[in-house]
Amino acid sequence: MTSKDTVGNKAPKDLFPRGEEVEQDIRKRRRAGTIWRTIFLGATVFAVIVLSVLLLKIINDSMGLVAEEAAIPERELLRAYHEGRLTAAPNSAPGGEGDPVETAESLADLPYDALVGIYAANVSRGRCRAVEREQRFFADSLVCETEELFAQVCASDNPAAACALGPRDSTQVIRLIRADVIKPKVVATWNALESITNREEILATAARRFPNAEVYFKSWLSWRFITSPQSSFPEIAGIRTALLGTLWVVGIAVLVSFPLGVGAAVYLEEYADSRSRLNRIIQTNINNLAGVPSIIYGLLGLAVFVRALEPITSGAIFGAGDAAATANGRTVLSAGLTLALLGLPVIIISAQEAIRAVPSSLRQASYGLGATRWQTVRSHVLPNAVAGIMTGVILSMSRIIGETAPLVVVGASTFITTDPDGPFSKFTALPVQIYQWTARPQDAYRDIAAATIIVLLLLLLLLNATAIFLRNRYGKRLG
Amino acid sequence: MTGRDQIMTDTMTPQANGDANYAIEARDLHIYYGNFRAVKGVNLQFPQRRITALIGPSGCGKSTVLRAFNRMNDLIPTTRAEGEVLFHGKNIYDPDVDPVEVRRRIGMVFQKPNPFPKSIYENVAWGARINGFKGTKADMDALVEQSLRSAAVWDEVKDKLDQSGLSLSGGQQQRLCIARAIAIRPEIILMDEPASALDPVSTLRIEELLEELKELYTILIVTHNMQQAARASDYTAFFNMDTDRAGYLVEYGATNGLFTNPKNEMTELYITGRFG
Repeated sequence: MTSKDTVGNKAPKDLFPRGEEVEQDIRKRRRAGTIWRTIFLGATVFAVIVLSVLLLKIINDSMGLVAEEAAIPERELLRAYHEGRLTAAPNSAPGGEGDPVETAESLADLPYDALVGIYAANVSRGRCRAVEREQRFFADSLVCETEELFAQVCASDNPAAACALGPRDSTQVIRLIRADVIKPKVVATWNALESITNREEILATAARRFPNAEVYFKSWLSWRFITSPQSSFPEIAGIRTALLGTLWVVGIAVLVSFPLGVGAAVYLEEYADSRSRLNRIIQTNINNLAGVPSIIYGLLGLAVFVRALEPITSGAIFGAGDAAATANGRTVLSAGLTLALLGLPVIIISAQEAIRAVPSSLRQASYGLGATRWQTVRSHVLPNAVAGIMTGVILSMSRIIGETAPLVVVGASTFITTDPDGPFSKFTALPVQIYQWTARPQDAYRDIAAATIIVLLLLLLLLNATAIFLRNRYGKRLG
Repeated sequence: MTGRDQIMTDTMTPQANGDANYAIEARDLHIYYGNFRAVKGVNLQFPQRRITALIGPSGCGKSTVLRAFNRMNDLIPTTRAEGEVLFHGKNIYDPDVDPVEVRRRIGMVFQKPNPFPKSIYENVAWGARINGFKGTKADMDALVEQSLRSAAVWDEVKDKLDQSGLSLSGGQQQRLCIARAIAIRPEIILMDEPASALDPVSTLRIEELLEELKELYTILIVTHNMQQAARASDYTAFFNMDTDRAGYLVEYGATNGLFTNPKNEMTELYITGRFG
């Protein structure tokens, strides 16, 4: 054998490096490896830095010093109210230790009727009546409206909203006072970084330029911000409407796309003949659909759900709401269905991969025991694929929660202050809100947009964490 | 019993339908993968409550033949069988036969142990449950215990029936798979190289187990291991690959006779290890 073992005229072992050459060769190969490793590390570090900068920029914008001027400061209101009570009833000696009015440090400490009193005393009668027609202050009496007129309005063809609603509560009245009486106006804002490093100078500048303003460190992201409805004033605007809109829309999208997607994946993997031309075409199209720009889905949703299926998506055929007040198909349902379509390909593809990853030996064992196809799918394929399927749902949800373009096309409202309360409501969503606010010129809008971005990211994190938790739980039970 | 050895001497002669001595029988069986003929013209009769080994070189189609007996080949698209497989006088490839029923009555144990990722108890109970087992919880407990005892694995798992079947060793897993197969009381058990993934000790235990199981079941076993075929089986069928790469049956007879006095030269070369 050895004599015949030649390549060309040489023995193969002479064609490999020998002696000194071996070391050189290995060093050369290792050097190439080191260079590539550095490049990969660089890419990772770069990505981490860029993401950190992005996040820091958002946080930086979402808080900082503000100079705020108020038409009537909150303290002023409290003091005026307190004095007013003393004058009105000097003998009733209200100044006891536990008197809530005297010790009140903010509006939230006052009783409900005191708040209503402050509100009614500080706004025009016309405004007060309009507010009372939207929703009354007390169930048994009226504050600004007269009983006769109110009864008349309620008896008319187009009754006011207050006729059907219960009375307001403290939170709502405080919100009204802030919006109509205190009217806080942020006249200047500084971002977090300069607020910390340059505090003295900012305070001096603010005192000079805005002598009436109160300067304080404000986090635009607050509980009040999350729970207040949309407003045209950034100082009192909140994202409750948009947050609920997002939850409704994404909720509907997941409810629709999850069963459809998993069903389609099971069919394609376990039942369909993967060699037939039709099924190959379907498969290719699903893969392509995953890459279609979301605005195209928006146009599809506009044509199909908003226009063609308007009687259904507006809720008209279910008798939901009167035609004038509804959104004409531009509803939570339309948006949810559009996003469901958008998320569907990702769910199908990842569910297919998860199902394909279930070892065929399990299927064989199951069939070998006389199980039918459905028994096999139900007892072995799906339980073992559930972790992968959940991953797909997470991916899909992460994609659709941040979608803006299709929602704008489908007709997300640019400005609504009423919460979505069902599938046939008008809606707006967090990304749409962010988009709206970042387009405004004032600094304060930029700041609340940053705060909204943080909420959106936190929501995304929360949903993902929930899904991962569920996935791990299911995954463990199988082990 | 007296007639069997005589019948086996002339294995290629088809017998009348429904011969009580045969558990299952192949008549002129051809199996195709697409256009490729993997197995051609197999005629075989398997006696009741005996172990028959299918041996032959790699690629000769012995596993394909085995899987044809409970229509497991149906699961591979493009696979097609021609000819007949008679089970109780009925061709299992007739259009009115449901493969689910065939597999329920003809069980299978695979090459690689493949317990379900469920509890040991559930591994055994599942097959019974999906096949409409009507007993109470106590009946099911008894069935599980009895099946595990029959598969000689009860003593090792009785204290951890709720643990995952995957927590067992390879040999234990394979015996669990055998328990799972016999829990639904099939008439025939097909075994596709059941010991090839196991160590020698586990292999020996499986062989001992086969000896016990044949009192109740007809067993067909594919094996690469000639000693195993010689030790554990009553009958042996030797397959080889033709020049067109299609497998065919070379020789079939009582194991003793085939190993000591092969009629075919090819068989002799194979069992003496000079080819394959």
